[in-house]
Amino acid sequence: MTFPISGIPGIGASSGIGGMAGIAPTPAVADAVNGDAFSSVLASSFDQLQATQAKTDGLAAKAATGELKDVHDYMIARNESSLAVEMVVGIKNKAVEAFNEIMRMPV
Amino acid sequence: MAIFDTFGISGSGLMTHRKWLDAVSDNIANVNTVRRTDEDAFQQRMVIAEAVEYGTGQGGVRVARAEFGDPEGRLVYQPDHALADDEGYVKYPDIDLGDQMTQMIMAQRGYQANLSVVERATAAYQAALQLGKG
Repeated sequence: MTFPISGIPGIGASSGIGGMAGIAPTPAVADAVNGDAFSSVLASSFDQLQATQAKTDGLAAKAATGELKDVHDYMIARNESSLAVEMVVGIKNKAVEAFNEIMRMPV
Repeated sequence: MAIFDTFGISGSGLMTHRKWLDAVSDNIANVNTVRRTDEDAFQQRMVIAEAVEYGTGQGGVRVARAEFGDPEGRLVYQPDHALADDEGYVKYPDIDLGDQMTQMIMAQRGYQANLSVVERATAAYQAALQLGKG
């Protein structure tokens, strides 16, 4: 005898994170309930990361050609881009971890 | 990146103090610049700083403008000098070396203070990012 398994409703269809009592849904959470917001958040942070990297690269080229006026500009940009990389990689790792956790869930 | 605003603000402080140091070095470089008595003396350069209102989303400081010192200078009796007038006077800039040295120390300390803010902010952000690695 078999038990037919009905389709699992998406996370957004059930109570959802935003639906928890006492916690007002932030726009990001509300978007996440509605659709593929996490990927767009990740994509936009990658865009920002790329902008920071491009700024650092530009300053590095200026430092090499002697056009750099302020040494601290380059050092700060380098600092900023390394922190940004660390942050985005951290977010990515957490996301992959969460995905793996869901995949391991016994159905 | 908007998250790391501290760097931009401290960067503006660094820039301002760097320009102040530039002005002081210009003044010290020209402390013995002699002119004829009928010309303007070398004018001391002064950097005027201006706060950027924090509410605008930027914060920090910028150099509003440069002010110039007294063109009268001070007359010095040097009859041997090539630029001396009939009475034997030349014009030196009205720059006090002691005052310039004081300003140099202030500019240097200000620069260092902004650098330590950058250093501390980096350490703080790194500590915050460690939270996610548990």
